[in-house]
Amino acid sequence: MSALIRMSAGLIVWAIAFCLLYALHGLGCARGWATIRLGGTSAHQAALIAGWLLSIGMGIAVAAWRWPARSGALVDRTGWRLALIGIAATVITGLPILTLPACL
Amino acid sequence: MKALKLHQELTAIWRNAPGWRGTLCSVNHSDMGKRFIVGAFTFFAIGGVLAMLIRAQLATPDSAFVGPEVYNQLFTMHGSIMMFLFAIPMFEGLALYLLPKMLGARDMAYPRLSALGWWCYLFGGTILIVAMLAGVAPDAGWFLYPPLSGKQWTPGINSDVWLLGITFVEISAMCAAIEIAVSILRLRAPGMRLDRMPLFAWYLLATSAMMLFGFPPLILGSILLEIERAFGWPFYTPALGGSPLLWQHLFWLFGHPEVYIIFLPAAGAVSTTLPVMARTRILAYGALVAAVMALAFLSFGLWVHHMFTTGIPHMALGFFSAASTLVAIPTAVQVFAWIGTLWSGRPQMKLPMLYLIGFFIVFVLGGLTGVMLAVVPFDQQAHDTAFVTAHLHYVLVGGFVFPMLAAAYYWLPHFTGRERVMQLGETAFWLIFIGFNLTFFLMHLTGLLGMPRRIDTYSDAMGWTWLNLLSSVGSFVMAFGFALFTIDVGLQIWLGRHHRRNPWHAGTLEWAMAIPAPAYNFASLPRVSGRDPLYDEPDLSVALARGEGWLGAARHGWRETLAVDMVTGEPDHIVILPGNSWLPIATAGVLAGFFLTMLAGLYWIAPLFLVAVGVMGWRWAWTNGTREDHGPLPAGPGVALPLSTEALGTTGWWGSVFALAASATLFASLLFGYAFLWTVAPDWPPPQLIARTLLEPALALVGAMLAIAAVRRAGPDGRTELAVAAGGQIALLVALVLLVVVRLPSPASHAYAATGAVVAAYAIFHAALAVTMLAFARARIATGHIGGARVGELRIVRLWSDHAAGAGVVAALVLALPGWIA
Repeated sequence: MSALIRMSAGLIVWAIAFCLLYALHGLGCARGWATIRLGGTSAHQAALIAGWLLSIGMGIAVAAWRWPARSGALVDRTGWRLALIGIAATVITGLPILTLPACL
Repeated sequence: MKALKLHQELTAIWRNAPGWRGTLCSVNHSDMGKRFIVGAFTFFAIGGVLAMLIRAQLATPDSAFVGPEVYNQLFTMHGSIMMFLFAIPMFEGLALYLLPKMLGARDMAYPRLSALGWWCYLFGGTILIVAMLAGVAPDAGWFLYPPLSGKQWTPGINSDVWLLGITFVEISAMCAAIEIAVSILRLRAPGMRLDRMPLFAWYLLATSAMMLFGFPPLILGSILLEIERAFGWPFYTPALGGSPLLWQHLFWLFGHPEVYIIFLPAAGAVSTTLPVMARTRILAYGALVAAVMALAFLSFGLWVHHMFTTGIPHMALGFFSAASTLVAIPTAVQVFAWIGTLWSGRPQMKLPMLYLIGFFIVFVLGGLTGVMLAVVPFDQQAHDTAFVTAHLHYVLVGGFVFPMLAAAYYWLPHFTGRERVMQLGETAFWLIFIGFNLTFFLMHLTGLLGMPRRIDTYSDAMGWTWLNLLSSVGSFVMAFGFALFTIDVGLQIWLGRHHRRNPWHAGTLEWAMAIPAPAYNFASLPRVSGRDPLYDEPDLSVALARGEGWLGAARHGWRETLAVDMVTGEPDHIVILPGNSWLPIATAGVLAGFFLTMLAGLYWIAPLFLVAVGVMGWRWAWTNGTREDHGPLPAGPGVALPLSTEALGTTGWWGSVFALAASATLFASLLFGYAFLWTVAPDWPPPQLIARTLLEPALALVGAMLAIAAVRRAGPDGRTELAVAAGGQIALLVALVLLVVVRLPSPASHAYAATGAVVAAYAIFHAALAVTMLAFARARIATGHIGGARVGELRIVRLWSDHAAGAGVVAALVLALPGWIA
């Protein structure tokens, strides 16, 4: 089972990232974080960007962990591929943070 | 002669009892698979008749064919039947029938669970159909949105029929998910490493995992809605802190993965049949595995795309829109791998291939309109129009029905051992294909012209008349096609000539046996060294029939199969599977008693049936195991292996892990609901919070720690430690009961208290279950079932006890915390 979990680690990170961003978004809107200024942006967007970058960082960490196994057996190779897919999915699903109003 | 003798000996062990007793007590996976398939096709026919009635109603404007009340029942039942009583059970049936044969095993991991699933499905489905015949079928749409489905707007039992009947059927789905996952991971032929598994098994492994995590939110949502309807606890009532959107979240947390839960097994069938039709091997096996895993995860990030018009903020819609478009990529990887396989092979236009081509065309069109609907502005225009109905039919009929028809023609010789009689299948294909596209392609246009879903009639002035009439004509053409398919299959079953083995010259193991398959599948189990064992060893089936493989002898009347290491496929231990039993049908009967008394509003009688289920469960577990160690027994060429009772990491342990994963998902969904209501719903914070207390949380914590520590110290003679652990669980249980009864406001007063009470109820249920299991383990030590090397049951009890302790502490904290932070 640990082999399958290692194989899916990149996608597990994406799933955690997705939940984290959705939760931060809902919480921020409910608590009015958008009205708190933080540097050049709102506390809400800052939290979302931080969560997004943290998630991408976790994805990269998983990919680095799976890098030595990229040319191994199929399960290991797939783990490396899925780590890359996880990073790409985290980047793409988080893009609305940069482009859309948070609570409108 | 040796093969014949072995066949007779194994048949004596694996066959059903004669007559009705054999029918009712059978647990054989081939029987269960066939029953699920026939049952699902029967429900498909019923759902199809309802579709004909819907199309008859919509064929002309201002139709008075049926009134709105009946029409509401027609479309609700059509959707519910097709999703819950046809699609899922159909692939469950195919999986139950095929998986052990493809994997080189003699049965599924839990044959009695297969049978329980079958009876739950049959009884639950029957409740829905009887309700329809009685005129009280569900009528609030197949996704049963409150407040329409709530007590105020549906005061009769219509919604209860859906909630209770579908939940009953979902027990069957959960049984199947656990069974499929464990069977794939543990019950394979020696040498079948993960990367040598047939792709069909990879697809079903992903599907079963999705079911384990996808179904619990819907089961939870259904329980909450039924409690609201029965007892007035306001989970979905905004005036008392509830929210109808909570239902939508819980439903679609299930509902969107459900689309892929239906598609993936069908895609697995495509990946199995298509290379055989193209006379080559599948292209890009590794890329397909990665695509399947990616789909299994990404499909859980799409559920809000069914809720784009509910007022959710744009950024959140953006997250889900991005994920919804993203999911097209792994789907496309599969489509290109299939096209590449066709390109690299020498395709032959046999009947399964014809249906596969139909699948390609219809499914790809459905996928493209899916990408359109993933884009928020377009979805907001097309939402709840006939365009969406057209899209979902393209996806589900294209992605499931066409591959299943291909699979039917491909594997029918395996089921029947016979050849086709006439060429009716080709005519059936063209009728289905043309009829389907006439019906649903035009429905895109009707939708774009503004026709909403689910309306029972329309005026001629709307300009939808001709499109609707042609759609109705198309649907009847399609119905003729399915009728012809049914006749064709019937002719093959009853009149076809006997077929030779492996008629398609396939490479997978299900063809390495006589057809129709004997009850034990393989007289001896193969050792495999590649992905297509029959291509590597064309005479494998003869050698296996002679008993030249693993477990090639009958002994002690045991139903034996091998458990292997999950990754390497190396043999680990011998599993002795249970024989024919009345327990599955009896347990399903008792469960039916529970659901029917709930439906009748006899709420004080219903718990008695749950107690009876507990008694059945005790008896069920008691019949497992032995009272002595056997040591390693001969299993294969020069290899001796222990029995499962003396091994670690058994199928029972893994089944518990997966069952607990599903249960934990339900608990997590409940906590999500609690947080969602607290954050989003109106009238929060609630007018009255729980009374501030330290006593009960402290008692819960001490009880949980005691249980965790004591159960760890319990060895093969640890009756005292088990009693201490049970004491800890009882303390936890008492603490939770006190929190709800003494400290929490009335659950009917506000969604806060109602949700808190359900959180506590979950933990109380698990603590009570843990106490029962700890008592069971004590009794098993006393009778000698646990002792020596036989400690597997203790490990399983520890899992459940630990889960109950953890959930209890979380529940106590969730309940008590608001009193402290207020």
